[in-house]
Amino acid sequence: MHPKGVRVHLPGGWNMPPMGIHQYLALIIVAVALWALGSVWMGLQATGDWVGSWQKNMVLHVYLPQESNDKLARLKSDLQNISGVVTVVSVSHDVAANWMQQWLGKGVGDVSLMAKHLPETLVLSLQHSDGELFVVDDVRETAQRVGASINEDEVRLLGMRDVLDQAEYLAWFVTLLLGLAMALIVSNTLRMILLARADEIHLMRLMGAKEWFVRMPFLLEGSALGAAAGLLAWGLLWPWVWGISSWLEASSVSLNIWGLLLPLLFGGAVLGCLGAAVATARLESPDSVDV
Amino acid sequence: MAERKTMMAMKQLMLRYPTGKVALSGINLSIEQGEFVYLTGESGAGKSSLLRMFYGGLRPTSGQLHVQGWDMREASEDDVRSLRRRTGVCFQNQRLLFSRTVFENVALPLHIQGWDKKRLIPRVQKVLDYVRLGDRLWSYPEALSGGEQQRIAIARAMMATPPVVLADEPTGNLDEETARHVLDLLMGLNQLGMTVIMATHDLHLLNSHPGRVVQLHAGALVGDSYAP
Repeated sequence: MHPKGVRVHLPGGWNMPPMGIHQYLALIIVAVALWALGSVWMGLQATGDWVGSWQKNMVLHVYLPQESNDKLARLKSDLQNISGVVTVVSVSHDVAANWMQQWLGKGVGDVSLMAKHLPETLVLSLQHSDGELFVVDDVRETAQRVGASINEDEVRLLGMRDVLDQAEYLAWFVTLLLGLAMALIVSNTLRMILLARADEIHLMRLMGAKEWFVRMPFLLEGSALGAAAGLLAWGLLWPWVWGISSWLEASSVSLNIWGLLLPLLFGGAVLGCLGAAVATARLESPDSVDV
Repeated sequence: MAERKTMMAMKQLMLRYPTGKVALSGINLSIEQGEFVYLTGESGAGKSSLLRMFYGGLRPTSGQLHVQGWDMREASEDDVRSLRRRTGVCFQNQRLLFSRTVFENVALPLHIQGWDKKRLIPRVQKVLDYVRLGDRLWSYPEALSGGEQQRIAIARAMMATPPVVLADEPTGNLDEETARHVLDLLMGLNQLGMTVIMATHDLHLLNSHPGRVVQLHAGALVGDSYAP
Protein backbone atom coordinates (compact mmCIF):
# COMPACT_ATOMS: atom_id res chain seq x y z
CA MET A 1 0.00 0.00 0.00
CA HIS A 2 0.98 3.63 -0.17
CA PRO A 3 3.10 5.13 2.61
CA LYS A 4 1.55 6.95 5.56
CA GLY A 5 0.83 10.62 4.91
CA VAL A 6 0.47 10.10 1.15
CA ARG A 7 -3.06 10.65 -0.07
CA VAL A 8 -3.95 9.06 -3.37
CA HIS A 9 -6.38 11.09 -5.49
CA LEU A 10 -6.88 9.36 -8.80
CA PRO A 11 -8.78 11.64 -11.16
CA GLY A 12 -12.09 10.69 -12.76
CA GLY A 13 -14.79 8.14 -12.02
CA TRP A 14 -16.24 7.90 -8.54
CA ASN A 15 -13.29 9.65 -6.91
CA MET A 16 -14.03 12.91 -5.16
CA PRO A 17 -11.44 15.59 -5.89
CA PRO A 18 -9.59 17.20 -2.96
CA MET A 19 -11.18 20.30 -1.39
CA GLY A 20 -9.55 23.65 -2.13
CA ILE A 21 -10.14 27.29 -1.27
CA HIS A 22 -12.76 27.74 -4.03
CA GLN A 23 -14.82 24.87 -2.66
CA TYR A 24 -14.66 26.19 0.93
CA LEU A 25 -15.75 29.64 -0.22
CA ALA A 26 -18.66 28.22 -2.23
CA LEU A 27 -19.60 26.04 0.76
CA ILE A 28 -19.87 29.07 3.02
CA ILE A 29 -21.84 31.17 0.51
CA VAL A 30 -24.29 28.36 -0.26
CA ALA A 31 -24.64 27.55 3.45
CA VAL A 32 -25.54 31.19 4.22
CA ALA A 33 -28.13 31.20 1.43
CA LEU A 34 -29.59 27.89 2.66
CA TRP A 35 -29.58 29.22 6.20
CA ALA A 36 -31.60 32.24 5.02
CA LEU A 37 -34.05 29.86 3.33
CA GLY A 38 -34.23 27.67 6.43
CA SER A 39 -34.94 30.78 8.53
CA VAL A 40 -37.78 31.85 6.23
CA TRP A 41 -39.42 28.42 6.43
CA MET A 42 -38.80 28.20 10.15
CA GLY A 43 -40.49 31.60 10.54
CA LEU A 44 -43.48 30.36 8.59
CA GLN A 45 -43.59 27.24 10.72
CA ALA A 46 -43.53 29.36 13.89
CA THR A 47 -46.27 31.69 12.64
CA GLY A 48 -48.38 28.73 11.61
CA ASP A 49 -47.97 27.17 15.00
CA TRP A 50 -48.75 30.48 16.70
CA VAL A 51 -51.89 31.06 14.69
CA GLY A 52 -52.95 27.56 15.66
CA SER A 53 -55.63 25.25 14.51
CA TRP A 54 -58.08 28.00 13.52
CA GLN A 55 -55.94 28.52 10.47
CA LYS A 56 -57.12 25.21 9.06
CA ASN A 57 -60.80 25.24 10.13
CA MET A 58 -61.91 28.82 10.03
CA VAL A 59 -65.35 29.44 11.46
CA LEU A 60 -67.35 32.58 11.92
CA HIS A 61 -69.88 33.15 14.69
CA VAL A 62 -73.04 35.14 14.08
CA TYR A 63 -75.01 36.40 17.12
CA LEU A 64 -78.72 37.17 17.10
CA PRO A 65 -80.17 38.92 20.20
CA GLN A 66 -82.68 36.87 22.25
CA GLU A 67 -85.49 39.32 21.47
CA SER A 68 -85.14 38.65 17.73
CA ASN A 69 -85.02 34.84 18.00
CA ASP A 70 -88.11 34.58 15.77
CA LYS A 71 -85.85 35.62 12.90
CA LEU A 72 -83.36 32.82 13.52
CA ALA A 73 -84.78 30.43 10.92
CA ARG A 74 -84.82 33.15 8.26
CA LEU A 75 -81.29 34.24 9.13
CA LYS A 76 -80.03 30.64 8.97
CA SER A 77 -81.68 30.13 5.59
CA ASP A 78 -80.31 33.42 4.21
CA LEU A 79 -76.81 32.60 5.43
CA GLN A 80 -76.94 29.14 3.85
CA ASN A 81 -77.76 30.74 0.52
CA ILE A 82 -74.58 32.83 0.49
CA SER A 83 -72.04 31.42 -1.92
CA GLY A 84 -68.85 30.52 -0.01
CA VAL A 85 -70.63 29.50 3.18
CA VAL A 86 -70.23 25.73 3.57
CA THR A 87 -72.29 24.99 6.68
CA VAL A 88 -74.45 26.89 9.13
CA VAL A 89 -74.95 25.21 12.49
CA SER A 90 -77.10 26.55 15.29
CA VAL A 91 -75.59 26.31 18.77
CA SER A 92 -78.22 25.41 21.34
CA HIS A 93 -78.21 26.99 24.81
CA ASP A 94 -77.49 23.57 26.32
CA VAL A 95 -74.35 23.14 24.22
CA ALA A 96 -73.28 26.70 25.07
CA ALA A 97 -73.89 26.03 28.78
CA ASN A 98 -71.86 22.83 28.63
CA TRP A 99 -69.00 24.57 26.95
CA MET A 100 -69.08 27.47 29.43
CA GLN A 101 -69.19 25.07 32.35
CA GLN A 102 -66.13 23.24 31.03
CA TRP A 103 -64.32 26.49 30.37
CA LEU A 104 -65.12 28.24 33.67
CA GLY A 105 -65.01 25.14 35.86
CA LYS A 106 -67.40 23.97 38.56
CA GLY A 107 -66.28 26.66 41.00
CA VAL A 108 -68.59 29.25 39.44
CA GLY A 109 -71.67 27.10 40.00
CA ASP A 110 -74.37 26.24 37.46
CA VAL A 111 -74.00 28.39 34.35
CA SER A 112 -77.11 27.13 32.54
CA LEU A 113 -79.10 30.14 33.77
CA MET A 114 -76.47 32.49 32.43
CA ALA A 115 -76.40 30.59 29.10
CA LYS A 116 -80.11 31.16 28.65
CA HIS A 117 -79.42 34.88 28.35
CA LEU A 118 -76.80 34.41 25.67
CA PRO A 119 -77.75 35.52 22.14
CA GLU A 120 -78.78 32.90 19.61
CA THR A 121 -75.53 31.70 18.00
CA LEU A 122 -74.88 30.37 14.50
CA VAL A 123 -71.53 28.85 13.54
CA LEU A 124 -70.56 29.23 9.88
CA SER A 125 -67.76 27.38 8.20
CA LEU A 126 -66.37 29.17 5.17
CA GLN A 127 -64.86 27.86 2.00
CA HIS A 128 -61.14 28.74 1.94
CA SER A 129 -60.64 31.01 -1.06
CA ASP A 130 -59.16 34.34 -2.09
CA GLY A 131 -62.59 35.98 -1.94
CA GLU A 132 -63.19 34.98 1.68
CA LEU A 133 -63.43 38.54 2.95
CA PHE A 134 -66.13 39.33 0.37
CA VAL A 135 -68.13 36.40 1.74
CA VAL A 136 -67.66 37.87 5.23
CA ASP A 137 -69.07 41.18 3.95
CA ASP A 138 -72.13 39.33 2.63
CA VAL A 139 -72.53 37.51 5.95
CA ARG A 140 -72.24 40.78 7.88
CA GLU A 141 -74.79 42.49 5.65
CA THR A 142 -77.22 39.57 5.92
CA ALA A 143 -76.79 39.48 9.71
CA GLN A 144 -77.31 43.22 10.09
CA ARG A 145 -80.57 43.04 8.13
CA VAL A 146 -82.16 41.09 11.02
CA GLY A 147 -80.27 42.93 13.78
CA ALA A 148 -77.57 40.25 14.24
CA SER A 149 -73.82 40.79 14.39
CA ILE A 150 -70.73 38.81 13.54
CA ASN A 151 -67.60 38.16 15.60
CA GLU A 152 -65.19 40.81 14.27
CA ASP A 153 -62.17 39.23 16.02
CA GLU A 154 -62.66 36.16 13.86
CA VAL A 155 -62.80 38.39 10.77
CA ARG A 156 -59.41 39.82 11.71
CA LEU A 157 -58.02 36.26 12.02
CA LEU A 158 -59.39 35.54 8.54
CA GLY A 159 -57.34 38.46 7.27
CA MET A 160 -54.32 37.00 9.03
CA ARG A 161 -54.84 33.75 7.15
CA ASP A 162 -54.62 35.65 3.86
CA VAL A 163 -51.38 37.28 5.04
CA LEU A 164 -49.98 33.84 5.91
CA ASP A 165 -50.98 32.44 2.53
CA GLN A 166 -49.23 35.33 0.81
CA ALA A 167 -46.16 34.85 2.99
CA GLU A 168 -46.04 31.20 1.93
CA TYR A 169 -46.20 32.17 -1.75
CA LEU A 170 -43.42 34.64 -1.10
CA ALA A 171 -41.38 31.96 0.68
CA TRP A 172 -41.69 29.68 -2.35
CA PHE A 173 -40.64 32.53 -4.62
CA VAL A 174 -37.61 33.30 -2.43
CA THR A 175 -36.79 29.56 -2.35
CA LEU A 176 -36.84 29.45 -6.14
CA LEU A 177 -34.71 32.58 -6.50
CA LEU A 178 -32.16 31.55 -3.88
CA GLY A 179 -32.13 28.02 -5.30
CA LEU A 180 -31.19 29.34 -8.72
CA ALA A 181 -28.58 31.63 -7.21
CA MET A 182 -27.06 28.73 -5.27
CA ALA A 183 -26.98 26.52 -8.37
CA LEU A 184 -25.19 29.35 -10.18
CA ILE A 185 -22.66 29.76 -7.36
CA VAL A 186 -21.86 26.03 -7.40
CA SER A 187 -21.76 26.08 -11.19
CA ASN A 188 -19.36 29.04 -11.23
CA THR A 189 -17.10 27.43 -8.61
CA LEU A 190 -16.97 24.18 -10.54
CA ARG A 191 -16.34 26.08 -13.77
CA MET A 192 -13.22 27.58 -12.17
CA ILE A 193 -12.16 24.14 -10.98
CA LEU A 194 -12.82 22.74 -14.43
CA LEU A 195 -10.56 25.38 -15.97
CA ALA A 196 -7.87 24.56 -13.41
CA ARG A 197 -8.20 20.86 -14.27
CA ALA A 198 -8.54 21.29 -18.03
CA ASP A 199 -5.25 19.40 -18.62
CA GLU A 200 -6.43 16.48 -16.53
CA ILE A 201 -9.75 16.31 -18.37
CA HIS A 202 -8.00 16.55 -21.73
CA LEU A 203 -5.57 13.80 -20.79
CA MET A 204 -8.32 11.47 -19.59
CA ARG A 205 -10.13 11.93 -22.89
CA LEU A 206 -6.93 11.28 -24.82
CA MET A 207 -6.63 7.99 -22.97
CA GLY A 208 -10.14 6.96 -23.97
CA ALA A 209 -12.09 7.87 -20.82
CA LYS A 210 -15.86 7.84 -21.20
CA GLU A 211 -17.73 11.10 -20.67
CA TRP A 212 -19.44 9.93 -17.47
CA PHE A 213 -16.01 9.06 -16.07
CA VAL A 214 -14.72 12.57 -16.79
CA ARG A 215 -17.82 14.38 -15.49
CA MET A 216 -18.75 12.22 -12.50
CA PRO A 217 -16.25 13.74 -10.02
CA PHE A 218 -17.66 17.20 -10.72
CA LEU A 219 -21.26 16.03 -10.25
CA LEU A 220 -20.24 14.31 -7.02
CA GLU A 221 -18.38 17.39 -5.90
CA GLY A 222 -21.38 19.65 -6.64
CA SER A 223 -23.75 17.33 -4.77
CA ALA A 224 -21.39 16.95 -1.81
CA LEU A 225 -20.83 20.71 -1.69
CA GLY A 226 -24.60 21.36 -1.67
CA ALA A 227 -25.30 18.65 0.93
CA ALA A 228 -22.50 19.90 3.20
CA ALA A 229 -23.81 23.46 2.86
CA GLY A 230 -27.31 22.19 3.74
CA LEU A 231 -25.98 20.45 6.84
CA LEU A 232 -24.04 23.55 7.87
CA ALA A 233 -27.09 25.76 7.30
CA TRP A 234 -29.20 23.42 9.42
CA GLY A 235 -26.59 23.57 12.19
CA LEU A 236 -26.64 27.36 12.02
CA LEU A 237 -30.42 27.39 12.61
CA TRP A 238 -29.95 26.15 16.18
CA PRO A 239 -28.34 29.33 17.60
CA TRP A 240 -31.25 31.20 15.99
CA VAL A 241 -33.77 29.02 17.78
CA TRP A 242 -31.91 29.19 21.10
CA GLY A 243 -31.77 32.98 20.77
CA ILE A 244 -35.57 33.32 20.53
CA SER A 245 -36.44 30.39 22.79
CA SER A 246 -37.95 32.58 25.53
CA TRP A 247 -40.24 34.29 23.00
CA LEU A 248 -41.22 30.90 21.56
CA GLU A 249 -42.03 29.62 25.03
CA ALA A 250 -44.08 32.70 25.90
CA SER A 251 -46.05 32.35 22.66
CA SER A 252 -46.54 28.57 23.12
CA VAL A 253 -44.81 27.97 19.80
CA SER A 254 -42.92 24.73 19.32
CA LEU A 255 -40.59 24.44 16.34
CA ASN A 256 -39.56 21.22 14.65
CA ILE A 257 -35.99 22.01 13.50
CA TRP A 258 -35.30 18.32 12.78
CA GLY A 259 -37.98 18.51 10.13
CA LEU A 260 -35.81 20.97 8.19
CA LEU A 261 -32.75 18.69 8.17
CA LEU A 262 -33.70 16.47 5.24
CA PRO A 263 -35.09 19.28 3.03
CA LEU A 264 -31.91 21.32 3.55
CA LEU A 265 -29.60 18.33 3.08
CA PHE A 266 -31.26 16.90 -0.03
CA GLY A 267 -32.28 20.31 -1.39
CA GLY A 268 -28.64 21.41 -1.14
CA ALA A 269 -27.43 18.21 -2.82
CA VAL A 270 -29.92 18.55 -5.67
CA LEU A 271 -29.03 22.22 -6.23
CA GLY A 272 -25.31 21.39 -6.11
CA CYS A 273 -25.78 18.58 -8.63
CA LEU A 274 -27.80 20.93 -10.85
CA GLY A 275 -25.02 23.54 -10.68
CA ALA A 276 -22.43 20.89 -11.57
CA ALA A 277 -24.55 19.68 -14.49
CA VAL A 278 -24.70 23.27 -15.80
CA ALA A 279 -20.93 23.71 -15.32
CA THR A 280 -20.07 20.49 -17.14
CA ALA A 281 -22.62 20.92 -19.93
CA ARG A 282 -19.96 22.41 -22.19
CA LEU A 283 -16.69 20.70 -21.41
CA GLU A 284 -14.60 20.79 -24.51
CA SER A 285 -11.03 19.63 -25.03
CA PRO A 286 -8.81 19.81 -28.09
CA ASP A 287 -8.50 16.46 -29.85
CA SER A 288 -11.99 15.52 -28.69
CA VAL A 289 -13.30 12.33 -30.18
CA ASP A 290 -15.90 14.18 -32.22
CA VAL A 291 -13.37 16.38 -34.07
CA MET B 1 6.36 -17.39 -40.22
CA ALA B 2 3.02 -15.89 -39.17
CA GLU B 3 1.81 -12.95 -41.23
CA ARG B 4 2.13 -9.66 -39.43
CA LYS B 5 -0.98 -7.60 -38.84
CA THR B 6 -1.25 -4.15 -40.48
CA MET B 7 -1.58 -1.57 -37.70
CA MET B 8 -1.85 1.57 -39.86
CA ALA B 9 -2.89 1.73 -43.51
CA MET B 10 -3.07 5.00 -45.43
CA LYS B 11 -4.18 5.52 -48.99
CA GLN B 12 -4.12 8.99 -50.59
CA LEU B 13 -4.52 10.37 -47.09
CA MET B 14 -5.12 14.08 -46.92
CA LEU B 15 -5.61 16.42 -43.99
CA ARG B 16 -6.70 20.02 -44.32
CA TYR B 17 -7.18 22.18 -41.22
CA PRO B 18 -10.28 24.39 -40.95
CA THR B 19 -7.96 27.37 -41.63
CA GLY B 20 -7.41 25.93 -45.11
CA LYS B 21 -3.82 24.87 -44.52
CA VAL B 22 -3.06 21.44 -45.99
CA ALA B 23 -1.07 19.51 -43.38
CA LEU B 24 -0.82 16.18 -45.22
CA SER B 25 -1.54 15.16 -48.76
CA GLY B 26 -1.32 12.01 -50.86
CA ILE B 27 0.14 9.82 -48.09
CA ASN B 28 0.30 6.13 -48.99
CA LEU B 29 1.84 4.15 -46.18
CA SER B 30 1.42 0.93 -44.28
CA ILE B 31 2.86 0.11 -40.87
CA GLU B 32 2.96 -3.50 -39.70
CA GLN B 33 2.69 -4.90 -36.21
CA GLY B 34 5.99 -4.86 -34.31
CA GLU B 35 7.72 -2.23 -36.45
CA PHE B 36 9.79 0.61 -35.04
CA VAL B 37 9.09 3.63 -37.23
CA TYR B 38 10.78 7.01 -37.14
CA LEU B 39 8.71 9.86 -38.59
CA THR B 40 11.18 12.50 -39.66
CA GLY B 41 10.98 15.83 -41.40
CA GLU B 42 11.36 19.55 -40.78
CA SER B 43 9.10 21.47 -38.40
CA GLY B 44 5.66 21.76 -39.99
CA ALA B 45 6.25 18.73 -42.22
CA GLY B 46 3.15 17.04 -40.77
CA LYS B 47 4.70 14.56 -38.29
CA SER B 48 2.62 15.60 -35.29
CA SER B 49 -0.55 15.87 -37.40
CA LEU B 50 -0.05 12.30 -38.61
CA LEU B 51 0.51 11.07 -35.05
CA ARG B 52 -2.64 12.86 -33.90
CA MET B 53 -4.58 11.10 -36.64
CA PHE B 54 -3.30 7.77 -35.31
CA TYR B 55 -5.14 8.28 -32.01
CA GLY B 56 -8.25 9.97 -33.44
CA GLY B 57 -7.32 13.53 -32.49
CA LEU B 58 -7.79 14.55 -36.12
CA ARG B 59 -9.94 12.99 -38.80
CA PRO B 60 -8.79 12.63 -42.43
CA THR B 61 -10.21 15.19 -44.85
CA SER B 62 -10.02 12.70 -47.71
CA GLY B 63 -8.37 9.41 -48.59
CA GLN B 64 -8.30 6.36 -46.35
CA LEU B 65 -6.85 5.77 -42.92
CA HIS B 66 -7.26 2.52 -41.06
CA VAL B 67 -5.77 2.38 -37.57
CA GLN B 68 -5.73 -0.96 -35.73
CA GLY B 69 -8.61 -2.06 -37.91
CA TRP B 70 -10.79 1.03 -37.49
CA ASP B 71 -11.65 3.18 -40.50
CA MET B 72 -10.89 6.60 -39.06
CA ARG B 73 -13.28 8.43 -41.39
CA GLU B 74 -16.22 6.36 -40.18
CA ALA B 75 -15.16 5.61 -36.60
CA SER B 76 -17.75 6.49 -33.95
CA GLU B 77 -16.91 8.22 -30.67
CA ASP B 78 -16.90 4.84 -28.93
CA ASP B 79 -14.54 3.45 -31.59
CA VAL B 80 -12.13 6.33 -31.02
CA ARG B 81 -12.28 5.74 -27.26
CA SER B 82 -11.51 2.06 -27.79
CA LEU B 83 -8.62 2.98 -30.09
CA ARG B 84 -7.20 5.35 -27.50
CA ARG B 85 -7.32 2.64 -24.86
CA ARG B 86 -5.19 0.51 -27.18
CA THR B 87 -2.70 3.28 -27.92
CA GLY B 88 0.05 4.58 -25.64
CA VAL B 89 1.01 8.17 -26.34
CA CYS B 90 4.13 10.10 -25.27
CA PHE B 91 3.19 13.67 -25.99
CA GLN B 92 5.56 16.36 -27.23
CA ASN B 93 5.50 18.20 -23.88
CA GLN B 94 4.85 14.99 -21.92
CA ARG B 95 1.54 16.32 -20.52
CA LEU B 96 2.27 15.12 -17.01
CA LEU B 97 -0.10 16.26 -14.27
CA PHE B 98 2.13 18.27 -11.95
CA SER B 99 -0.39 18.38 -9.12
CA ARG B 100 -0.50 14.57 -9.06
CA THR B 101 2.07 12.06 -7.89
CA VAL B 102 4.04 9.85 -10.26
CA PHE B 103 1.77 6.99 -9.23
CA GLU B 104 -1.37 8.94 -10.11
CA ASN B 105 0.11 9.97 -13.46
CA VAL B 106 1.24 6.51 -14.47
CA ALA B 107 -1.87 4.75 -13.15
CA LEU B 108 -4.22 6.92 -15.21
CA PRO B 109 -4.61 4.72 -18.35
CA LEU B 110 -5.60 1.65 -16.33
CA HIS B 111 -7.61 3.64 -13.79
CA ILE B 112 -9.69 4.83 -16.76
CA GLN B 113 -10.17 1.20 -17.73
CA GLY B 114 -11.59 0.43 -14.30
CA TRP B 115 -8.62 -0.89 -12.33
CA ASP B 116 -8.79 -0.16 -8.60
CA LYS B 117 -6.01 1.28 -6.45
CA LYS B 118 -5.11 -2.09 -4.91
CA ARG B 119 -4.34 -3.62 -8.30
CA LEU B 120 -2.76 -0.48 -9.65
CA ILE B 121 -0.01 -0.01 -7.07
CA PRO B 122 1.98 -3.22 -7.84
CA ARG B 123 1.43 -2.71 -11.55
CA VAL B 124 2.70 0.89 -11.51
CA GLN B 125 5.63 -0.20 -9.35
CA LYS B 126 6.56 -2.84 -11.93
CA VAL B 127 6.35 -0.39 -14.84
CA LEU B 128 8.37 2.22 -12.95
CA ASP B 129 11.00 -0.43 -12.16
CA TYR B 130 11.20 -1.05 -15.90
CA VAL B 131 11.98 2.63 -16.60
CA ARG B 132 14.30 2.57 -13.55
CA LEU B 133 12.25 5.02 -11.50
CA GLY B 134 10.84 2.53 -9.03
CA ASP B 135 11.86 4.69 -6.07
CA ARG B 136 9.87 7.70 -7.36
CA LEU B 137 6.38 6.23 -7.02
CA TRP B 138 5.13 8.89 -4.59
CA SER B 139 7.19 11.84 -5.87
CA TYR B 140 5.70 14.74 -7.79
CA PRO B 141 6.84 15.24 -11.42
CA GLU B 142 8.25 18.69 -10.71
CA ALA B 143 10.84 17.07 -8.44
CA LEU B 144 12.15 15.05 -11.41
CA SER B 145 14.63 15.97 -14.13
CA GLY B 146 13.58 16.36 -17.78
CA GLY B 147 14.85 12.88 -18.63
CA GLU B 148 13.05 11.35 -15.67
CA GLN B 149 9.84 13.11 -16.63
CA GLN B 150 10.16 11.67 -20.13
CA ARG B 151 10.64 8.20 -18.63
CA ILE B 152 7.49 8.74 -16.56
CA ALA B 153 5.64 9.62 -19.78
CA ILE B 154 6.93 6.39 -21.35
CA ALA B 155 5.87 4.43 -18.27
CA ARG B 156 2.38 5.91 -18.58
CA ALA B 157 2.24 5.09 -22.30
CA MET B 158 3.20 1.43 -21.72
CA MET B 159 1.04 1.01 -18.61
CA ALA B 160 -1.90 -0.63 -20.38
CA THR B 161 0.44 -2.71 -22.63
CA PRO B 162 -1.03 -1.21 -25.78
CA PRO B 163 -0.23 -2.73 -29.18
CA VAL B 164 0.84 0.71 -30.45
CA VAL B 165 2.98 3.39 -28.80
CA LEU B 166 3.16 6.85 -30.36
CA ALA B 167 5.93 9.21 -29.29
CA ASP B 168 6.07 12.83 -30.42
CA GLU B 169 9.63 14.20 -30.15
CA PRO B 170 10.36 12.29 -26.94
CA THR B 171 14.04 13.26 -27.05
CA GLY B 172 13.43 16.87 -28.07
CA ASN B 173 14.76 18.69 -25.04
CA LEU B 174 17.13 16.06 -23.71
CA ASP B 175 20.92 15.80 -23.80
CA GLU B 176 22.35 13.08 -25.99
CA GLU B 177 22.96 10.52 -23.29
CA THR B 178 19.49 10.92 -21.75
CA ALA B 179 17.95 10.86 -25.23
CA ARG B 180 19.77 7.61 -25.96
CA HIS B 181 18.44 6.13 -22.73
CA VAL B 182 14.87 7.18 -23.57
CA LEU B 183 15.25 5.61 -26.99
CA ASP B 184 16.56 2.41 -25.36
CA LEU B 185 13.32 2.25 -23.41
CA LEU B 186 11.20 2.71 -26.54
CA MET B 187 13.29 0.04 -28.31
CA GLY B 188 12.64 -2.19 -25.32
CA LEU B 189 8.87 -1.70 -25.72
CA ASN B 190 9.25 -2.61 -29.39
CA GLN B 191 11.07 -5.78 -28.42
CA LEU B 192 8.13 -6.59 -26.13
CA GLY B 193 6.01 -6.64 -29.30
CA MET B 194 4.62 -3.13 -29.35
CA THR B 195 4.57 -1.14 -32.59
CA VAL B 196 6.42 2.10 -31.89
CA ILE B 197 5.99 5.20 -34.05
CA MET B 198 8.20 8.09 -33.08
CA ALA B 199 8.36 11.58 -34.55
CA THR B 200 11.86 13.00 -34.25
CA HIS B 201 14.41 15.53 -35.45
CA ASP B 202 17.37 13.71 -33.89
CA LEU B 203 18.57 11.81 -36.94
CA HIS B 204 21.91 10.99 -35.30
CA LEU B 205 20.06 8.59 -32.97
CA LEU B 206 19.33 6.37 -35.95
CA ASN B 207 22.97 5.26 -36.01
CA SER B 208 22.67 3.52 -32.67
CA HIS B 209 18.96 2.61 -32.81
CA PRO B 210 17.92 1.13 -36.14
CA GLY B 211 14.38 1.32 -37.52
CA ARG B 212 12.22 2.21 -40.45
CA VAL B 213 12.52 5.88 -41.41
CA VAL B 214 9.50 7.57 -42.94
CA GLN B 215 10.35 11.04 -44.15
CA LEU B 216 7.81 13.80 -44.59
CA HIS B 217 8.30 17.12 -46.32
CA ALA B 218 5.64 19.84 -46.51
CA GLY B 219 2.92 17.29 -45.77
CA ALA B 220 4.01 14.78 -48.40
CA LEU B 221 5.78 11.45 -48.05
CA VAL B 222 9.24 11.83 -49.56
CA GLY B 223 11.11 8.83 -48.20
CA ASP B 224 10.57 5.38 -46.69
CA SER B 225 13.68 3.34 -45.90
CA TYR B 226 15.40 1.30 -43.20
CA ALA B 227 18.34 2.72 -41.24
CA PRO B 228 21.14 2.31 -40.63
